[in-house]
Amino acid sequence: MQTMTPGPVLEMAGLTKRYGDRTVVDDLSLSVERGEIFGILGTNGAGKTTSVECAQGLRRPDGGQVRVLGLDPIRDRSALAGRVGSQLQESNLPDRLRVGEALRLFATTKTQADEALDRWDLGDIAKVPFARLSGGQRQRLFLALALLNRPEVVFLDELTQGLDPDARRSVWRLIEQVRDQGTTVVLVTHFMSEAEALCDRVVVMTDGRMVAAGTPDELVDRHGRGVRVRFSGTAEDLDWVRSLADVHEASVRGADIECWGRSTMIAELGHGLVERGRNPIAIRVEQQGLEDALLSLLHPVDNAAAARTEAAA
Amino acid sequence: MSIADAATSRTKAKVEEQVAAVMGDGSLNGGAVGEALPVVRQRSFDQVVRLYLTEMRLFLRESQVVLFVVGFPVLMVLVLGGVFGTDTDDSGFEFVNPSHYYVASYFGVVLAAIGLMMLPTQIAGARERGLLRRYDTAGFARWVFPTVQYLCGLTFALIGFASLLVTASLTNGVPAPEDLVPTLLGLGLGTLAFISIGVALGMLFPTGRAAQGIGMSLFFPMFLLSGGGPPPEALTDGMRAVANWLPLTHVIRAAQEPWLDIGDGRNHLAIVGGLLVVSLAVWLWRAGRTSRAA
Repeated sequence: MQTMTPGPVLEMAGLTKRYGDRTVVDDLSLSVERGEIFGILGTNGAGKTTSVECAQGLRRPDGGQVRVLGLDPIRDRSALAGRVGSQLQESNLPDRLRVGEALRLFATTKTQADEALDRWDLGDIAKVPFARLSGGQRQRLFLALALLNRPEVVFLDELTQGLDPDARRSVWRLIEQVRDQGTTVVLVTHFMSEAEALCDRVVVMTDGRMVAAGTPDELVDRHGRGVRVRFSGTAEDLDWVRSLADVHEASVRGADIECWGRSTMIAELGHGLVERGRNPIAIRVEQQGLEDALLSLLHPVDNAAAARTEAAA
Repeated sequence: MSIADAATSRTKAKVEEQVAAVMGDGSLNGGAVGEALPVVRQRSFDQVVRLYLTEMRLFLRESQVVLFVVGFPVLMVLVLGGVFGTDTDDSGFEFVNPSHYYVASYFGVVLAAIGLMMLPTQIAGARERGLLRRYDTAGFARWVFPTVQYLCGLTFALIGFASLLVTASLTNGVPAPEDLVPTLLGLGLGTLAFISIGVALGMLFPTGRAAQGIGMSLFFPMFLLSGGGPPPEALTDGMRAVANWLPLTHVIRAAQEPWLDIGDGRNHLAIVGGLLVVSLAVWLWRAGRTSRAA
């Protein structure tokens, strides 16, 4: 067992990183607590990977402070070795290197490599060269390598990129296992569904700045448009629907009424429709996810335009 | 507490962290700090051994490496020895046995294959794939990878030299060095210089494929003009002038002249020493400029 350092596993305070004149990470502050899966979300080029690379000691910040397990990732690199695991974006292995050899190369002992083969179910492909592994097998190997030394914290950067949905869900289960075994996970992803399924807390970045932080549910509540309900109805129903307390907006869409509001409006609507003797042929309820909420946050103009186009149609 | 005490205390704390990280159990006792540096050194030594064994396996799986470093020089020594024979009355070979002339030359060709093709392709390929970042985040000391490349280059040089000596001894014989110490000095310095050139080129080329292509286009002219191809007398003045600017010419002549008593090789040795310094400087400059994250 490693010595458990008290305090946050990862702390960034005013982290700033520039490439030439371009600021790619701008005054980023966050704190990751032990045992959580923490997501760093954002569009491509938002500064997610650069931020994590500063935490991994691969890049020197231009401003601010980064502490991993209470240590400076560049100055205390040697002390952090073995306590931090990393899956890097766009980092492969030599084509001819076999799975067993890769584990043996990065493991401190042969026993550790053998354990990883069993633990990650890699025994059957131990002699397969890296070039012949499927996408899912590669990610499983990368995860095994990142966790070889049973680190206290692991950085996973776009681990599921390029995987089919089935393989992606398998990797998600592996990540949950990692967290359940006590390792803190910092997950960099641009898949909102991944963050929603896995993360306890997330931060959202765009253009190098953090624009939102919280649990996925909090972000959906804060930035989403809520619940959408559609049912068969006419313009005569519109005033009544708009009068309901939890309905934010309502409009006629062809033969339907569409309304947006808080989830509590569903019961109100259903009750009211029954009271009014209406028996809607179809009622559809859609809960907005993190992806919709963050799209609204990141591209409010685009979404407003899309909504207008949809309304006009 | 004085500043000196505080500094000592910080150093001690840092070393304790290192011990904890290395030992993995976090248990420190009174002797741990004193043992920390040997433990860190042991860890780095283990990394060198593991990476060396892995890289050697990978090199041996590359047929191009085995072909050019071992097979090609041996084949050419056999072919050229058969073509030019062993007569010592040919001014084109400076009145030495042509087979012996080529044996001495082909030590340099082994080094050129290592320094222009094997190492640049491997190192540029590793950078292209982000392997250096992976080693970095896995806790490998930053000097481990280049050190291992030097060791692999040295190992292949020894394998190539041994293959040449065995082949020559079984055919037209190995010439006894006329002046042993300068011959060994020329070979040794030439080996280090071309391995350093290989590491420096690996740091300069953007991709493994580019390194392979450019390396081949550097290797063949050097091999043909610097002593591995036609006898120097058969070259035109222009070709000889170009050859004088090629590093391989000086690496070959630095060992060949004292070996076969056709010169003292000192000027060539000085140029080889310069090549070593320049290639090391290029490597260090690139290593300093290239972020592991890049």
